[in-house]
Amino acid sequence: MRAQTGLAGAVAAAGALGLALLPMAGMPAFYDSFLYLVFFWISLATSWAILSGFAGYFSFGHAAFFGAGMYTTANLAAKHDVPLLATIPLAGLVAAALGVGIGAVVFRLKRLRGELFALLTLAVTFIVATVILNTPIDGGSGVFLSNVPVPKIVASQSGSIYVLGFVLCAATMVIAWWVAHSRLGMGLAAIHDDEDVAETKGVPTFRYKLAALALSAGIAGAVGGVHAVYVGFLTVGDTFGIAVPLYVVLMSVLGGARHWLGPAIGAIAIGTSLYAFTGGDMAMIGRAIVAFVLIVAILVLPDGVVPAVQAWLKRRRGAISTAPVVVAAVPPVPRMAAPDENAPVALTIRDVAKSFGGLQALRGVTLDVRKGEILGLVGPNGSGKTTLINMITGHFPLTSGTIALGDAAIGALPAHRIARLGVARTYQIPRPFAHLSALDNVALSAVFGGAATSIAAARADAGCWLSFAGLGGKAAALPAELNLHERKFLEFARALAAKPKLLLLDEVLSGLNPSEIDRAIELIRGIRAEGTTIVFVEHLMRAVVELSDRVAVLNEGTLLALGAPREIMRDPRVVSVYLGKDHAA
Amino acid sequence: MLLEARALSVAYGDAPAVWDASLEVDEGEIVSVIGPNGAGKTTLINAIAGMMRWRSGTLHFAGEDMAGVAAHAVCGRGIALVPEGRRLFTRMSVEENLEIGCYVAKARAHRDVSLERVYTLFPILREKRTQLAGLLSGGQQQMVALGRALMARPRIVLLDEPSLGLAPSIVDDMFAIIRAIRDEGVAVLLVEQNVHKALEIADRAYVLEHGRTVASGDPATLMGQPHIREAYLGL
Amino acid sequence: MPSAVVIGQALVSGLLAGGLYGLLALGLSLSWGLLRLVNLGYFAITFLGAYLVYQLHESYGIAPWWAAMLVVPLFFCLGVAQHWVFLRFRVSELASLLVTFGLSVIVESGIQLVWTADYRRLETHYASASFKIGPLYVPVLDLAACLAAAALAWATWAWLRWTYVGKALRASAEDPDIAAAYGVDHKRLSYLLSGICAGYAGVAGAFIALISTLAPSQIWAWLGVVFAVVIIGRVGNPVGALVAGLLIGASESIAMAFLSPAWAPVVSFSALIVLLLWQPDWL
Repeated sequence: MRAQTGLAGAVAAAGALGLALLPMAGMPAFYDSFLYLVFFWISLATSWAILSGFAGYFSFGHAAFFGAGMYTTANLAAKHDVPLLATIPLAGLVAAALGVGIGAVVFRLKRLRGELFALLTLAVTFIVATVILNTPIDGGSGVFLSNVPVPKIVASQSGSIYVLGFVLCAATMVIAWWVAHSRLGMGLAAIHDDEDVAETKGVPTFRYKLAALALSAGIAGAVGGVHAVYVGFLTVGDTFGIAVPLYVVLMSVLGGARHWLGPAIGAIAIGTSLYAFTGGDMAMIGRAIVAFVLIVAILVLPDGVVPAVQAWLKRRRGAISTAPVVVAAVPPVPRMAAPDENAPVALTIRDVAKSFGGLQALRGVTLDVRKGEILGLVGPNGSGKTTLINMITGHFPLTSGTIALGDAAIGALPAHRIARLGVARTYQIPRPFAHLSALDNVALSAVFGGAATSIAAARADAGCWLSFAGLGGKAAALPAELNLHERKFLEFARALAAKPKLLLLDEVLSGLNPSEIDRAIELIRGIRAEGTTIVFVEHLMRAVVELSDRVAVLNEGTLLALGAPREIMRDPRVVSVYLGKDHAA
Repeated sequence: MLLEARALSVAYGDAPAVWDASLEVDEGEIVSVIGPNGAGKTTLINAIAGMMRWRSGTLHFAGEDMAGVAAHAVCGRGIALVPEGRRLFTRMSVEENLEIGCYVAKARAHRDVSLERVYTLFPILREKRTQLAGLLSGGQQQMVALGRALMARPRIVLLDEPSLGLAPSIVDDMFAIIRAIRDEGVAVLLVEQNVHKALEIADRAYVLEHGRTVASGDPATLMGQPHIREAYLGL
Repeated sequence: MPSAVVIGQALVSGLLAGGLYGLLALGLSLSWGLLRLVNLGYFAITFLGAYLVYQLHESYGIAPWWAAMLVVPLFFCLGVAQHWVFLRFRVSELASLLVTFGLSVIVESGIQLVWTADYRRLETHYASASFKIGPLYVPVLDLAACLAAAALAWATWAWLRWTYVGKALRASAEDPDIAAAYGVDHKRLSYLLSGICAGYAGVAGAFIALISTLAPSQIWAWLGVVFAVVIIGRVGNPVGALVAGLLIGASESIAMAFLSPAWAPVVSFSALIVLLLWQPDWL
């Protein structure tokens, strides 16, 4: 495996060196120009995908960053005699700054996703274009770069531009590869699939989106800087036209925007076919064919070529080697005594209230959970149980009251900080990240929950947790390939992988059959035996009575009763809440 | 028999929610289905309303097999649903919500009569008829949801948790109206977590647990069975 | 400071241009709001309609309004066919945007192949007819476009507001399952609405043929402004689209009168951005 990777790396490096030295071989300038354009599209499409493909924030505004870079270089080099090479990093910085400025505002708004984000970025592009057109940056007459000296990297000017384009392209690919294999990439993939869950698992979503946008915009800006010299004459119309956003989207989507290599494959395919049809009617036919291919690709391969090939390879490999399914038996765990009343308090909830618009979901709940305790949280539908869980994890801000984990007040912290302090939860309806394997779903919790120091270590841990949850043979499976029960146990595994101090379980037992319920109950006992405090919401009363040290009953947003399970469930008030009044007698 | 379900099983994708449910409802009777949360009550009622397909088992309504009936054709046969959480069209007015109830051609012909009937049952809705449904109180929304079902001139009304989130006095009013509907000859299939209320009003009742109908019969007898305490309270 | 007459004239031309924005926004807004499909191809189809009206006039001398009578039913069928593809492949909201983007490029290429990239102009003796109200000139065709937009927007609004089909469409847009439980066959209605939206593109195309100069690249010229109009007017609301169109048209031309014509786009896009950031409940 390692040797294979090393070989692939060596081949890639040799190929890259060969491509870099190509202009010295004295090929005609025509090829310089053709290959430069391919590199140009690869870099641009890949940079677009770092935000829009990886994190799923689909942008039509790539021309704004690209254009900002172009005009930065054009102005500095043509009007202020700054050396060309020095302007290119500056072009990247200006574009990145523009991106961060936009992101700092836009990413704070939760609803601005999907088409609305796409249209916003389009609007920003038009405004940037209009401002540049009407200010001395362009002035309406365009900017010439014909007198800008291009540093002689190789003999010919076209060759030198080729080398610049190539270097940027190689750098972009390295960055994209690095992002895809780093914490950042893992976090972005989670943001793409389910941003709320990502935040709850400890991903600093705002910072990560901002970082992705800055990288994406910065690369586009630097690419624009080089492209300014290539075109030699800039106009607002050409720079901020529909071509850049159109083609980067098409290329990335065709190749597979979520994969680091996908946009490059798409760029090579579309870039060369565009070049094959040049001049007059042929160009038109070429564009139409490209567009038709795009339509077919989106309808038939909505995820793109690279993921489709990967899936095909996986199926083929899966057919050859049927991995034995390892079902790890959960060792029987001795029943631990409930912590006594002197045990330290793990979670303090004081007068917590929450209203949504006019609806009072919680009307002031006060509750202490002791360290190592299993607390059952029950109550009729709409009594506020899940809301309380959402308040503890920081998913909703408190309307009033305080929550503390040990001595640390967490009521005002963002969800990812609370996760890092050791709070993990499961969802009633499993919400795994759809495009991450079962293993990576679990590893992500370990990485961002603070339990693992590196992705490799997290994956090793994740394997153990999957076995613990009985999913040992399913590590490579995508969540869609698991059935509901397996997805439920996956929820368990990824909550546990964060090695939480406090574990919140939201109806983990619903939908399981009796023997699975028994297994889950053993699992929960096992978790507590490791010292974790557990709060669980459950409707299955047999399990509540069997598992809980204490039961808290919520009704209409208030704490109705708290105490030992058997006593509480005989409390006339509780019985009447459950069975309707008059029944308690 | 008006409605007859035999050994229905219903699943969400690969996750079965109802395994083996059988029940019968006759003309002009109120039948309650009780059971703890997660037992599959809502799934069962949605399948009868045509919103979900069942995997196996049979469903007959007024002697007709409902297996091949498209979702949008179920209402025309005489089945009207009052879904859990009401699910009104919040951006439409009260009267428009009611009018969707009589969208089916047969019911549309009686629009004015049906509307008058609903406004007589719920006078407050007449006052609020131009208001957006989303701006009403919970109780009023429940009235609109029930009114919408009545506009379809159904032979059976499926009621899913009508008391959810309502104040006790409004719940009492709602149940009085359900009785009135039955007295007009409309059958009612009621799913309710308020066991006491559900059994009090019902002519017959079923207990659903883990997607199976485990008991059925006279409400007074069911009330005393240890089974129910166990399912609801875990004792 | 421009004179009152200049401002008045700017306001008139702006409102009339805004009417055309509203006309273009109408079909887009309906399919987005009620079918959750973002039809970028709308602009290309509109221009295809404009070229067809132009050609029927050039080749056979058919008057533009008669030509529109042919184009609109044809487009209705195209709209239904396109919707069949969307349903067949279960196209999502975002994918619909990409697919119709591709469609636009194909139509644009087709137009350029048939009619070349040169500017075309439908020449009629009434093309530049106008009348005067006080000191202000009102071009007749622009006024006709604006009135047609108002009539269509109002008729669509009334249709959605007062007919069972209209109510069913609105109900389906909010909760398709419950609407179906009350007998609404969403599939059939969505075919109808797709056809109608494409038909509106035909109407808009006829007016564009009458009012403006045609070139394939013009397809993209309206995109930004019209999307701003659709969102500002509230997606799915026909009268909102018209009002937003008039507002944007008027404010653009006022901005042009005070600053320079080149600043016009800033008005609509700033309005759009402010609205997206502010996010009032009705958006």
